[in-house]
Amino acid sequence: MASALSDSRVSAEHIPVKLVIAGPFGVGKTTIVSALSEIKPLNTEEVLTQAGTLVDDLTGVSDKTTTTTAIDFGRLTLPGAVLYLFGAPGQTRFQVLWDELVRGALGVLVLADTRRIDESFAVLDLVENAGIRYAVAVNHFPDSPDYPLESVRKALDLDPRTPLMVCDARDPASARASLIALVEHVRELVLS
Amino acid sequence: MAAARLTVPEHIDVERTTLVYIAPDAATNGLDPPGSHLLALLQDGPLSVYECAAHLGLPYCVVRLLVAGLVGGGTLLTRNPPVATSLPDIEILELVLSGLRAL
Ligand SMILES: Nc1nc2c(ncn2[C@@H]2O[C@H](COP(=O)(O)OP(=O)(O)OP(=O)(O)O)[C@@H](O)[C@H]2O)c(=O)[nH]1
Ligand SMILES: [Mg+2]
Repeated sequence: MASALSDSRVSAEHIPVKLVIAGPFGVGKTTIVSALSEIKPLNTEEVLTQAGTLVDDLTGVSDKTTTTTAIDFGRLTLPGAVLYLFGAPGQTRFQVLWDELVRGALGVLVLADTRRIDESFAVLDLVENAGIRYAVAVNHFPDSPDYPLESVRKALDLDPRTPLMVCDARDPASARASLIALVEHVRELVLS
Repeated sequence: MAAARLTVPEHIDVERTTLVYIAPDAATNGLDPPGSHLLALLQDGPLSVYECAAHLGLPYCVVRLLVAGLVGGGTLLTRNPPVATSLPDIEILELVLSGLRAL
C-alpha cells in the first residue's frame, strides 16, 4: 500500500459522497470497508463523553469522562465523485456520532449476522430514527444458519421494498453489489 | 495543545468528508507547525478532513478547527458534500451508480 503522501488524490472537482456501513460488533464492518476502499482503511477513534455527546474540542476533557469508539474510513474514487465509507458501530449509545455520520449521507448499508440476528435491532432503530435510506446485507459466515431471506426479512421486520441480500464482506465484487443495491434503492425512492 | 492557538470561526462549515485543498494564491509561510504539516500533506492534492486527521495523527476535532481557521485565513479552500436535503440529487445518484457498475 502506498504511503500517505504518495497516495492517489482526487481532484477538487470530485463531489464528496458519504456512505455509512453499520452493524453490530464483529459483523464484518472493517472487512467490508477494506474490500471496498482504494486506500488502506483508516481506523480512527472518535472521542465521546460518557453521556454520548461528541467531544468537539479538547479543553477540559479528562479520560474519566470520555470513551472512544473505532470508526473505519475508506475511500473509493469514481469518475466525478468520491465515495467516503464509514464503518460505524451500531450501538444506540453512539446516537450523537450517528447523527453526524449520517447527516448528508446517501444511505446506510446495514450488515447483519444471522447467527445473532437480534443484535441488528439496535442498528435498525438508529437508521429508522435518523430517517435515512438503507439496505440490509447479511454477511454470511461458515457457521451461519441457512435461513431463507424471506424469514430474515420477517425477523428483522423490514419493509418489503427494503433491499435485502446476502454478501461476502471479504469479496470486493460482492461488497460492491451490496452498495449498488443500496444506491439503486435510493434512486427509486427519489424517482417515485 | 495545537487547538489552543487557533482562532475559531463562529460558523464552521467543515466536516469529516469535506474535501480540503490549497488555495491557488495562498501564502503558505509563517504557519504554526500543525498548519504547515497540513499544508505539506495537501501539496499532492485534495484530501478529506478525516484523511488529514489520520495522516497528521491528530484528533478529527482538532483538525476540523485547524482547517476552519486556515479557510478563514484564505489559505485553504473546501468542497463540501451536497447539503443534506430530504432526498439526494438524482444526478449524483446516477454518477455513483454508473461509477460503481463500471468498476
Ligand atoms: N467467513 C467469513 N468471515 C468473515 C466475513 N466478514 C468478516 N469475516 C471475519 O469476521 C471477523 C470480524 O470481522 P470484522 O470486519 O473485524 O468485523 P467488525 O464489524 O469490524 O468488528 P468490530 O469492529 O469488532 O465490531 C474477522 O475475523 C473477519 O475476517 C465473511 O463474509 N465471511
Ligand atoms: Mg471493526
